[in-house]
Amino acid sequence: MEYPEIDAFASLNSPIHRFDPRAKMLTFTLLIFSFAFVDDLKIALYGFLFSILILLVSRLPMGFALKRIRMVFFFLFPLLLIMPLTVDGEELMNISGISVSTEGLAYASLIIIRALAAVTLAFTMLATTRFDMTMKALYALRVPGMLVQMLMFTYRYIFVIIDEFSRMWESMQCKGFRLKANYHGLSIFGNILGMLIIKSYDRTSRVYQAMVSKGYSGRPRALINFKMSTKDYVLSTCMVLIAVSVHLINWY
Amino acid sequence: MIEAVKVEGLSYSYSDGTKALEGIDLTIYKGEKVVVVGPNGAGKTTFFLHLNGTIKNPAGNITVFGRSISEMRIEERIHEVGVVFQDPDDQLFMPTVFDDVAFGPVNMGLEENEVKKRVIKALLKVGLEGFETKVPHNLSYGQKKRLALAAVLSMEPKVLVLDEPTANLDPKSRADFISLINELNERDGITTIIAMHDVNALPELANRVYVLNRRIVAEGSPRKIFSDWELLRENNLEAPDVFKLFKVLNCFGYSSDDLPLSFDEAIQILTRTIEGKDGHIHLHVHEHTHKELSDVVNSYNHHRNNGKK
Repeated sequence: MEYPEIDAFASLNSPIHRFDPRAKMLTFTLLIFSFAFVDDLKIALYGFLFSILILLVSRLPMGFALKRIRMVFFFLFPLLLIMPLTVDGEELMNISGISVSTEGLAYASLIIIRALAAVTLAFTMLATTRFDMTMKALYALRVPGMLVQMLMFTYRYIFVIIDEFSRMWESMQCKGFRLKANYHGLSIFGNILGMLIIKSYDRTSRVYQAMVSKGYSGRPRALINFKMSTKDYVLSTCMVLIAVSVHLINWY
Repeated sequence: MIEAVKVEGLSYSYSDGTKALEGIDLTIYKGEKVVVVGPNGAGKTTFFLHLNGTIKNPAGNITVFGRSISEMRIEERIHEVGVVFQDPDDQLFMPTVFDDVAFGPVNMGLEENEVKKRVIKALLKVGLEGFETKVPHNLSYGQKKRLALAAVLSMEPKVLVLDEPTANLDPKSRADFISLINELNERDGITTIIAMHDVNALPELANRVYVLNRRIVAEGSPRKIFSDWELLRENNLEAPDVFKLFKVLNCFGYSSDDLPLSFDEAIQILTRTIEGKDGHIHLHVHEHTHKELSDVVNSYNHHRNNGKK
């Protein structure tokens, strides 16, 4: 089974990779929110193009990026089919009595483009930073320790749970099980998921014991030494300007 | 001799009421190598969790170097006793190797430079230098096992507790791990307490053995424990193969009271015995040999016989 390793290409070298993790996190988040609130299709498109530009600058392999970003597209694609039929407005065409509205199409496109822009940015942000650095940046930005730890453990143990699942799955297949979409197949699949939860629960208590054995007391303590350079300040300022300007354009 | 760990009257029940430990009393001295053996579910892991105060238990008193573990602050406790658990995936929970090894020292509130120094030292000790930025889930099982040890060594504990250190390791990794533990004991003076089922590796890691089966059933040198086959049978244990082989040789007329527990020891003892008997020993089969043989076989192959019944 393939691991969902988001930071597989974090060791590449690009201006985005070199960007200070804290500044990257802050400015990218600002950009994401800014693009998500744009309500002009043209400007949203510019925003999307800008996030693709950032992705290109980051030199992340396109296949790696597409594979993740396209998931969002598949998820949102139905909007493109439903909204033109449900939103009232100017009739674009009429297919055997069902009217397709321009507004619906425009609105659906706006939602999809904004989402793609946001996801492209979020992906670039996470994929250009080693995961532990992302976590440290979150600590440095004073995100509550509880949240950071939840994220950290989720990421760390996804791999263990995937391994555990594939071991159970393989052993079921060795005993002749083939998943079919019938009652039996689904109930067996339910069992394996239930087992996975029980195993995870047992593991959490063992992990917790191991943590307490090493002096864990709930307080997050991490060694953090990030340094902002002039380049980081310049890049951050550019990002903030872009985030603000997409909204100013609208006013004039 | 300085008492490193002293346990008095320790009892523990699981939340469902099952008794896990009953009236444990034991003393382990500084610099000793102690192995705790016992059947599955005998409470070894539970016992170990008490030793560094992970399980808090008012019933029973545990003192480490003369101080009660329950009265120590957490930073002090982890500096006294370090526990390495069986499954490395449970212990390596941080995003990188460095963070994992630094976890303990950071919690101890050490300076950043000191933390880094300790991480480098601990990784060097287990042969994982240069792995700092690697991700734990990409390591092999043997490497994870060594990393789990490094993550405890970085706290520089005076007493090191290991749960099944050699389980699931390939022969080379197993041998490396054993010599690493011995080096820590002999060179760094760390008192080691180990739980293991691997009786063939046990003699190398033990000056003294405790048999734990909810209670302390027996205590003594490995030789004493392995000679008591009734004790072994009652506690699902076994003697090392070399030891059993020399019991058999005794039936054939090889006479030596010194029964070896390991391969290396067997070579020494055999050489010494043969040299002591003018360069040769005499083995023979008599009428009574078969009877003695079957006695030895019966007493030491008890698990196989039980299976048949």
